[in-house]
Amino acid sequence: MDTTLPDASGPSRADMDTAALEATAAITTPRARSPPKFDLDTYIANYTGRTRYDRLYLIGTCSPLLSTDALKAAIAEAKTSKDVSRYERAVRALADVAPNDPDASLDAAWVQETNRYVQTQTERLEHELRGYKNNLIKESIRMGHEDLGNHHYETGDLAAASKAYSRMRDYCTTPNHITSMLFKMVNVATERGDWMSVQSNVHRLRNSQSKPEDAAKNLSKISAASALSQMHQGSYLEAANSFLSVPPDLGDTYNEVITPNDVAVYGGLCALASMNRDELQKNVLDSQTFRNFLELEPHIRRAITFFCNFKFRQCLDILEAYRPDYLLDIHLQRHIPQLYKRIRTKSIEQYMIPFSRVTLDSMAKIFAPTVVGGEARPTDISSPFVQELVGLIQDGVLNARIDLEKGLLVSNQIDLRAEVQRTTLESLREFNEEAHLRILHAAVLQAGLDVKPEKGEGPGLGKGGRFPRGPGRD
Amino acid sequence: MTLLSDIISASAHLHRSNHLNSDEYDRRIRELVEYFRRLQTTKALESFANDESFLDILSRFSSGYSPSGKLWTRAAHFLASFDGVQVRYAGREWRLLVELVGQASLAASTPLLGATLVKDAMLRLDPSCAVFTSSHLLLVRLCLQAKAYSSALPVLNKQICHFPISLGRPSSEPSVLCADHGSSVSFMTEASEVSSKISYRDYLQYFLYGGMVYMALKEWRKALHFLGIVISMPSTSSVSLIMVEAYKKWVLVGLLEKGKLCPPPSITTPHVVKVYQSLARPYIILAHTFERGDLKKLNAEIDAAMGVWSADKNLGLVAQVVAVFFSQTVIKLGKTFAALTMADLSKQVFPSPVCAEVTGPAVSSLIMSRALNATLVQTKDHAGSSMLRFSSIHSLPRLSHELDLQSQLKQEMKLMETLVINLGATNINLGLSDEYVDSLHKGQVWSGSSEVNPTGGGNWT
Repeated sequence: MDTTLPDASGPSRADMDTAALEATAAITTPRARSPPKFDLDTYIANYTGRTRYDRLYLIGTCSPLLSTDALKAAIAEAKTSKDVSRYERAVRALADVAPNDPDASLDAAWVQETNRYVQTQTERLEHELRGYKNNLIKESIRMGHEDLGNHHYETGDLAAASKAYSRMRDYCTTPNHITSMLFKMVNVATERGDWMSVQSNVHRLRNSQSKPEDAAKNLSKISAASALSQMHQGSYLEAANSFLSVPPDLGDTYNEVITPNDVAVYGGLCALASMNRDELQKNVLDSQTFRNFLELEPHIRRAITFFCNFKFRQCLDILEAYRPDYLLDIHLQRHIPQLYKRIRTKSIEQYMIPFSRVTLDSMAKIFAPTVVGGEARPTDISSPFVQELVGLIQDGVLNARIDLEKGLLVSNQIDLRAEVQRTTLESLREFNEEAHLRILHAAVLQAGLDVKPEKGEGPGLGKGGRFPRGPGRD
Repeated sequence: MTLLSDIISASAHLHRSNHLNSDEYDRRIRELVEYFRRLQTTKALESFANDESFLDILSRFSSGYSPSGKLWTRAAHFLASFDGVQVRYAGREWRLLVELVGQASLAASTPLLGATLVKDAMLRLDPSCAVFTSSHLLLVRLCLQAKAYSSALPVLNKQICHFPISLGRPSSEPSVLCADHGSSVSFMTEASEVSSKISYRDYLQYFLYGGMVYMALKEWRKALHFLGIVISMPSTSSVSLIMVEAYKKWVLVGLLEKGKLCPPPSITTPHVVKVYQSLARPYIILAHTFERGDLKKLNAEIDAAMGVWSADKNLGLVAQVVAVFFSQTVIKLGKTFAALTMADLSKQVFPSPVCAEVTGPAVSSLIMSRALNATLVQTKDHAGSSMLRFSSIHSLPRLSHELDLQSQLKQEMKLMETLVINLGATNINLGLSDEYVDSLHKGQVWSGSSEVNPTGGGNWT
């Protein structure tokens, strides 16, 4: 159907959550074949924390070109941490790609040692926590929980980490404690792909009564996290608005989750997919705050400008060129097909607005150049582009009809007078019918004639008989 | 024979009294009816024209009574010319005569004769026909049996809004039967015995049969409305099979009229809907297949449940559903395409390759029957395959179209006016004056309870 987008069949399992995706990516995700534009080392240097491994692993399993490099980096990353399962997974993935690589075999000694260390550490922390609890000192208990949570987080036991963090809540005494706890929970939830929990924690963060200067400092992180969760829940318009409202002082403060570049890309794409041209111009290009982010990713800015200036081909070309990159992004990967489809649909829709009739050829040149080049009759009914238009019309996106004789797309002229007459008659009829129904209802009830079981009569099933309400009985 | 002269004089007395005021007239006519009813008990056998006792006497002769007989002519004459006001006083006798005529015409297998008489008599007694009586049911039954569908229309097109009820409380104005009533519900009461005792089955059957009459006339919208009445009737804990029957037809007629599975009217009780869904499974599956627009599957579905259709006597409707499927699909294509070749069209309609010869004539007949607003054009470049060009949506001949619309609007307006009158009557019957609603509203605000108006009709006002 979508011929200009050769990778449209990319990761289609959009409803899979990140954790599951991570585990099965190597098997199920079709690989992104085209070479990405970014340099792996510079790219990963932007991030800190556990997301580095996640991103490296994703690139390693999805991009055949970068897989060896990325997985080796991932192994090195895992080895500096205390997370054994991550190390094992990365090694397995590398063994699939490059079996002869020296890193592709498990370092059993390290695994054993780390496992033992993790074990003792867990026991020690739990023991300490019990001690604190017996002493009933709130602050110590809070810190005990926090230490335990940090430990679980580092070793990859995310469920236990989030449990430990949430237990901190009762022992938090200052707003600062609450904020830091909530941020930790947001981070864990982000990694687990539990966007509902991100959302609710963000909500709590917004309502927390911290000092104004602290609140201002945290605002950028909060809105970034909230925007991310909205994007993952598929509400792109809300996500776009949230990304657009991220204050420019985000900087490198939130590199464990999202960088300013990501904000620009995510926000730009979500806005492209959900806003019309006026809104794009007003809210994105002319926005003072978002301009700072857009300068980091000039091609997104160019794409949006092209879109606003009716140059849809160029806009789509830019996006197409960056598709391999975005398919390797841990957050965007699942949403790219959907986002790109929406952008494309919207460009077709916007393209059609000023015209009353357009030739299919000229449309196909803009929206399906490969079809024009490759097929004998690009505007035949069976061509994918025409089929796409048919789908859009039937979904009610395009208010137009296709004239296959002259090769035109004719927009429907609405005759207001006839339309008003038709709707008046229709609503009058509906009202009359409804009114009659209700008057009759009242009359039936008044006369006591409602349908009720009659006593002393067998369940006659003939016409005019009635039956005890067998199948519907609850 | 003194009796006969007595009757004649009594009746003649009344004849001269047309100038009397209603109260006096009422008193006298009541006396007269009383007198005649007494006579009847003494087995007086007299024939008498243009008055109620005539009916009693006719009923005595019921055994030798047939459309060819002498009495038939008299009955016909009476039913065509009786005095609507006087008969209000002798509702029982009038009903007996109507029933008799119906039975006799059935017995002589000439239901059409009976149907016309019954219809005229009903309209004569109550021109608004807003009160349901047992004669309504009799009429549609006769019409269905006579296959004279259009002769039921004058009655079917009137909207029934009431049932004969006993006016328990004394009405504010002492109204007499002969007075000029705004709504027929005030004289067609339970006490007048114009209708025999009505059960829920009677009116359910009436509306179902009425729907069937409209179906036979292919007035799908009205049929849908009648069936909607049946399936949405209030029920306590049980469902009548008539309602299930109606729901099955409702699904099919919904497909024919709107091309989709119509949800039951919003006031249908939820538990009833569940019962329908479980009992009318094949119909709902059929509707879903229809909506999905796959002819092959539709045919398979119809073949699979052939037994069900024929057992429910809905085979005819199902056959029409298939016919409508094609035209619906073509009309729907008209919303997507302005023009396309016949070959493409048949490809779109039939997923399996069917030669274009099948679609060609089908499309031409659709255009000729004005179901489809389009033209067929022979093109040179696509040899053999002609081009179907759908007319733009609003290029109808304007003037006639507008006139047509205007008359339809007027018709609906008139309908709404009668509905408003009937609504007023209902409100009076239920004692739902504005003051009552106000006080009820206040009471609800005070108590904050969820207890709603016990009559159940209050939410309408």
